[in-house]
Amino acid sequence: MHEGSIAESIVDILKETKKSNNLSKITKVTLKIGIMSGVMVDALLFALDALREEEAIIKNTEFEIIESNVKAYCILCNKNFEFQKNEEIVLLCDECNMPLEIKEGKEMEIIDIEGE
Amino acid sequence: MKRVVIERKILERNDSSAQRIRALLKEKNIFSLNFMSSPGAGKTTTIEQTIKALKDKHKISFIDGDLETDRDAERIKALGIDTVQINTSGACHLDANMVLKALDKVSLDCDILIIENVGNLVCPATFDVGCDKNVVILSVPEGDDKVKKYPVMFNVADVILINKIDLADFMDFDKEKVKKEIKEISPKAKVFEISAKTGYGFDDWINFLSDMVKKR
Repeated sequence: MHEGSIAESIVDILKETKKSNNLSKITKVTLKIGIMSGVMVDALLFALDALREEEAIIKNTEFEIIESNVKAYCILCNKNFEFQKNEEIVLLCDECNMPLEIKEGKEMEIIDIEGE
Repeated sequence: MKRVVIERKILERNDSSAQRIRALLKEKNIFSLNFMSSPGAGKTTTIEQTIKALKDKHKISFIDGDLETDRDAERIKALGIDTVQINTSGACHLDANMVLKALDKVSLDCDILIIENVGNLVCPATFDVGCDKNVVILSVPEGDDKVKKYPVMFNVADVILINKIDLADFMDFDKEKVKKEIKEISPKAKVFEISAKTGYGFDDWINFLSDMVKKR
């Protein structure tokens, strides 16, 4: 379960952010996780929960996760494709059969935080 | 209450280590491969056969990632290859920081660096370890339904080796279905059918690899 390592990386960035913005606590964190990032959202929330005991900085922090669909693009046909969670992903253009470029859906980002 | 916009990649530290690895290997003119697969798909045997085919022409170094033991590293060391073992002690994948540390220990007087990741078809796909090419092995006994079950791993593959192909007829393994699904999830990946045991398909795979090393 690599979500444990990802949760630790999130906490590291939060510690830096807390310090550089002179915050006493972080109340909310918004994350963006692509459905093709390889991260299972429930497992990540579980891993973050497990870290609350040892990492005071997230003891009472609320985590909101925005899941982003896979968005892909055919350069030749100038056509956009979107795949949702649990939908079969086919990265070939349905007109010209050429490989699609993935534009979104693989990212793992911290978007913003709220603190005091 | 204060809102701070961050917009930072969660794995930025891993990614910057991966960039340092790329820069270092480029400076030394080393071509690098990251082998990934489920446990038991034949990574070590495939790497052994690949090394045997190339070691007269190329200097090769090897980094092995496993949870415990140095069994795989010992097999590669027996071929006269400089090897470094990373024991992740429970972690299910290698990350770029682990590889960067291993680069301090392994000989960089080589033209090919082979990394064998932890056997796992899920987690290693998320962590860039700074290699030129990702090689994913799918073995016939795992079944012909795995490509769409593990799309993230197959999507990051530059090369897919379908190993133990000599067992395909015994296992009702539908090669055409697998190739079609690879095309759909990883359209740019180069696919080879091989058997690391019998040597089937190795000529094509080794020629392709030699070409990539030449063009580095």
